[in-house]
Amino acid sequence: MYLETPEGIYLALRPAGLPVRVLAFAIDLLLRAALLAFAGAAWLYLGKFGLGLASISAFLLLWGYMVLFEVLNQGRSPGKQIMGLQVIYSDGTPIDWSGSLIRNLLRVIDLLPFAYCIGILCLLNSARFQRLGDLAAGTLVIYEARPTQRKSLPEVTASPSARTLTRNEQHALLNFAERQQQLPKRRSEELAAIIAPALHIEPAQAVSGLYAIARSILGLR
Amino acid sequence: MHLNQVQVLLRPRNSWEAMDLGILLARRHAGLLMATWAAITLPFFVLLTLLFWQQPTLPALIIWWLKPAFERLPLHILSKALFANTPRFTDSIKAWPTLLKLQLLASLTWRRLSLRRSFTLPIQQFEGLAGAARQQRVLTLTHKYKQVPTWLTILGIHIEMALWLGMVVLLYLLIPAQLQADWSWSSLLTVSHSEWLWFEHLSNLLYVLVLIVWEPVYVACGFTLYLNRRIELEAWDIELAFQGLAQRLKNSPLLIVFALLCLFPYSDTALAQSAETEVISSASEELDTNGPRLLKQLLNSEQAQQSIKQILDAPPFKTYKITKSWHFNDPSSTEYTSPNWLNQLLKQLSFTIQSLLWLLLLVISVIMLWHYRQWLRAFAQQRQPRQQYNPAPKQRVLGLEVSSDSLPDDLVASAHTLWSDNPRAALSLLYRGLLNHLLEVQALPLSTAHTEDEVLAMSQNLPKPLQCYSQQLTVHWKNLAWGQQTLNHAEFVQLCTDWQQLQSQEAKP
Repeated sequence: MYLETPEGIYLALRPAGLPVRVLAFAIDLLLRAALLAFAGAAWLYLGKFGLGLASISAFLLLWGYMVLFEVLNQGRSPGKQIMGLQVIYSDGTPIDWSGSLIRNLLRVIDLLPFAYCIGILCLLNSARFQRLGDLAAGTLVIYEARPTQRKSLPEVTASPSARTLTRNEQHALLNFAERQQQLPKRRSEELAAIIAPALHIEPAQAVSGLYAIARSILGLR
Repeated sequence: MHLNQVQVLLRPRNSWEAMDLGILLARRHAGLLMATWAAITLPFFVLLTLLFWQQPTLPALIIWWLKPAFERLPLHILSKALFANTPRFTDSIKAWPTLLKLQLLASLTWRRLSLRRSFTLPIQQFEGLAGAARQQRVLTLTHKYKQVPTWLTILGIHIEMALWLGMVVLLYLLIPAQLQADWSWSSLLTVSHSEWLWFEHLSNLLYVLVLIVWEPVYVACGFTLYLNRRIELEAWDIELAFQGLAQRLKNSPLLIVFALLCLFPYSDTALAQSAETEVISSASEELDTNGPRLLKQLLNSEQAQQSIKQILDAPPFKTYKITKSWHFNDPSSTEYTSPNWLNQLLKQLSFTIQSLLWLLLLVISVIMLWHYRQWLRAFAQQRQPRQQYNPAPKQRVLGLEVSSDSLPDDLVASAHTLWSDNPRAALSLLYRGLLNHLLEVQALPLSTAHTEDEVLAMSQNLPKPLQCYSQQLTVHWKNLAWGQQTLNHAEFVQLCTDWQQLQSQEAKP
């Protein structure tokens, strides 16, 4: 899914689907259960006062856990953070109190009639993986954009391409060079053979020729 | 397999995203996938239920156990649909028996409990490997994906259970509360087994219905995981891009040949010869952008113009729309030539009308200037210093002018002349005279805000005759001014003589 900002920049948002969100929710659930167990221990040891504490913390865990984490931790509850997810508004802006509250209050509807049946069906049926709460609040759960380490290119002498390449084609060439580790040697040769003649590269040095072009695209020597 | 027909965006994704792609794929073909799954499982389930009516656990167990056999059909449909070749319902059902032939026994026995079932099924079904080769292939593909297919199956079990329990709970919620009142769990446990057979079969049915929704998604997720692994390993996205690049560059070799042809024959002498003519022609054609120019270049102006025109004619700049509507036949198609004299007459007439119109314009502008002359003068004279004109402040009391120069010299005589046709003016003249007297001779601080009664009250300290006179006059004036009651002539004469007496008394001392 792509958003265009007023400055003309394309932002790629990748909405997260059912499996990863179920897992994130399970992590959150376990965490809350553990915290609740602590509260229960307080009840055992502190008597009535402990019971009060336990009820208050149970209430906070039930209603506040998700909202607080989402608003104060860039849309990430601990489970989401572990799975690399993030809640944002569907226009790409960060989530705030109202969005998070609506989203998490409607959780009650999503978990009807049992174990999030409605939520699961909604997620399966929505193109952007939104459950009812997300639809009401206009929010999305997306994969967090984490900075990636650019992989090193093979060590060959750079030489520019004989022909002009569009941006997508340059991307493909860079990808080809960066994924040299994953690709089997014969497959690399096969791929290089597709465009070697068009780029006036000797078939024998097709692969290294493409690596050289990729280096020149990046401005390396 | 033609990669350029693939229906999804090819790029290496992380494994969770790959599963999401599976969900979207299953969603796009949801109708077909669910219908075919229902078509092969539901009749089978009904048959099983009838066969094992007394053992309600068996039908669900058998359906569950045979899942890998059923899963081959959605996988087949998805693989076709991925390359834009979605089969029809009947075709897919017909294809199912042939799909079952491949290693069915293995799938249903020792591979049945494998948690990576969804991921290895495509390997088996599409690559048809067996024995050591298959083992090797599975190892290669699962090298990085040891956990994810397992997680998919574990999540799948939970989601299946959640949906199934959800359906059961929904049914329970739909039971009216009156019926539930006398339920107790102990009695539910003690009722004889046979009475609840229908309920167990019902819950089996719910399970089968849940599978209709979930299984296509599960298979699709496994399929896209497999697909993603192959995209990674074989760089399908790069292949697609390279093919596009090769295609693009292949389409333009004509241009290259043309360029070579253009460049080579021009030896130095040829260039020298043409230079002279070029100088002459360039002088005349330099500014003419429409003529053919820059002929010696790789891309001459004609070609450039042509491609510019093509681009400008294409949709983003110009959109062609064909609209149809009714028209009368064109009347101008019948030729008609008017006689010469008529043409002359028309010419003269048009000249006359034109002159008249010009005249009209002239007249209107003159009238406008005349009409707005004051306004124009105001603008024209703005430069001259404005004359300061400060009129002496007028003395007004009760809205009447009371300064001495606004009154006639002989007050009584003028009042008498006014009396016959305008008694109101006459009386007001007398009253103004009184006010003037009070203001200037007696020096009362009268202002324009005072009323008649207030003036009267201020004249309390004046000499008796004046006070008396002003009382009388005020009463009459009020009656006339506010009540429209005219005093009679005798009273008026009396007032006049009183005023004269007062004036003469003033003059004596």
